[in-house]
Amino acid sequence: MHNSSDFPSFTELDCDGAIQEAAANVDGITRAAFMRRTAAFAGGAVAASAFPIAMAQAASGALPSGDLAILNYALTLEYLEAAFYKDALRKGALSGETKHFASVVYAHESAHVEALKKTLGSKAVKTPSFDFKSTTASQTTFQATSKTLEDTGVTAYLGQAGAIKTPAVLAAAGSILPVEARHAAWITNIIAKGSGSPSPAPEAFQKSATMSEVLSAVAETGFITSSLPTAAAGSATSAQPSMTG
Amino acid sequence: MSPTHDEHPTLAELDRDGAIEEAAAGVDGATRAAFLRRTGALVGGGMALGAIPIALAGAEGGGLPSGDVKILNFALTLEYLEAAFYKEAVSKGALKGGAATFAQTVSEHEAAHVETLKKTLGSKAVAEPKFDFKGTTSSEGTFLKTSMTLEDTGVEAYEGQVGNIKTPAVLMAAGSILPVEARHASWVRDIIGAGKAPTPAPAAFNPSMSMSMVLSAVKATGFIKA
Repeated sequence: MHNSSDFPSFTELDCDGAIQEAAANVDGITRAAFMRRTAAFAGGAVAASAFPIAMAQAASGALPSGDLAILNYALTLEYLEAAFYKDALRKGALSGETKHFASVVYAHESAHVEALKKTLGSKAVKTPSFDFKSTTASQTTFQATSKTLEDTGVTAYLGQAGAIKTPAVLAAAGSILPVEARHAAWITNIIAKGSGSPSPAPEAFQKSATMSEVLSAVAETGFITSSLPTAAAGSATSAQPSMTG
Repeated sequence: MSPTHDEHPTLAELDRDGAIEEAAAGVDGATRAAFLRRTGALVGGGMALGAIPIALAGAEGGGLPSGDVKILNFALTLEYLEAAFYKEAVSKGALKGGAATFAQTVSEHEAAHVETLKKTLGSKAVAEPKFDFKGTTSSEGTFLKTSMTLEDTGVEAYEGQVGNIKTPAVLMAAGSILPVEARHASWVRDIIGAGKAPTPAPAAFNPSMSMSMVLSAVKATGFIKA
C-alpha cells in the first residue's frame, strides 16, 4: 500500500515543462530542427541480461532530469501493464493461449518494472492504484484491452527514443521496445485467430506517440485511480478524483 | 533486372576498412566506460507514419557519414534478403491460410523497407545480390522456420546498430523499422507454435547482435549467391 502523496501526478513528472517542450518541438518538426536534435545512445551486442544491469549502473543521481522524467513515465506505463496482467491472472477468466500469453507478459512487465525501479532508485515514482473495471473479467475484454495497452507501449517507447540523453538508458529502452512490439503482435494474432485481421503488423513503419498523447490516452481509460494528470501539479494529491464511477 | 557482379559488394566488402569489425569488437567487449563513451545522434518523437520514409530520403546518401552509409547498406542487404525470400515464397504458392496472409503482408513491408533504404542511399546503395533460398520457400514448414530465423535476426541486427548511427533521421527510420521486425517475428512464432513453443516473446529484454555476428549468420545460410 502506498501513500497517495508519494505518487507524483503525470504533470509533476514533467514539472519543469522540458518534456512538453521537447514533445512540441518534435511534433512541429522541420527537417532542420530534426537534424539538430541529438541524443547520446549506446546499443550493440550486449547480452539480454546485461541490460537491466547496465541500466541500474546508470545511477539515478547522475541522470539528467529529462531522463528521470522519461524513466518515471515508462515506469508508470509498466506499472499499469504489470498490474493489468496480474489482475487478469488473479481473476481467472482466461483460458488456453490467452492465459499463457497473460502469464508470460506479466513476467516481462514485472521485469521491466523492477529494472526501471532499480535504475531510478529513490527517484522512482510509487505504483499508483488501479481499477481495471470489468476489462480483466472476461477473455474478450482482456484481449482487446491488452492489445490497446501493448500498442500504446510500443508507440510510447518509440516516441521517447529521441529525447533520452543517457546511452545506457537508451540501450535499455531499445531492448524493451521490440518486446512490447512482440507482445502487441502476439495478442493481435490471438484475437485474429490467424486470419490476419486485425493485423499483427499493420504497417511497414511503426508509428510513435508523444508523451502528452500517451498520457491523455491513459487518463481516458480511468484505470489509474490514485492520481490523474492535472494542471495543478502542486496540489494534485490532495483530492483524488476517480473515473471509475 | 539482375545486378552485374561488380556492382554488388560482398559482405566482406561492405566492411572494407574494417571499421565495422572494430566497432563491433568494441561493443562486444563493452565495459561500462566504453559503453558510455559510445554515442550517436538520435531523433524520435511523434512523427507521422508517412513522414518517416520522407525524412530518411531527405538525409541523402551524399551527406551521410561513411559509418551511417555502411549501416544503411547492411540494413539494405538484410531487407533485400527478406524481401526476396517472401516474394519467392508467395510466388511458389506453397503457403495456405494464416501463413499465406503473413507472407503477403510481410513481403509488402520488407519491400517498403528496401525502397526507403535505397532512396536514402541514392547512388551509394548496394545492388541487390542474387539469392538461392535452397528450397526453404517450397513448403510451409520450412518457410515458417526460416522466416522466424530471418525476423529474429532482423530485430537483433537493427537493435545492435542503433548506438552506432550518427544521423538523427537515419536513427529515426531504424527505430520505426525495429518494432515492425519484432511484430513479424512474434507473428510467425505464434503461427508456428499456436500457443506452445516457440513463444512469440521469449525474453523480457530483447537481445541484440553486432554487425559481424549478423553477417556471419547470414553467410552461414548460403542464401546470398553473388
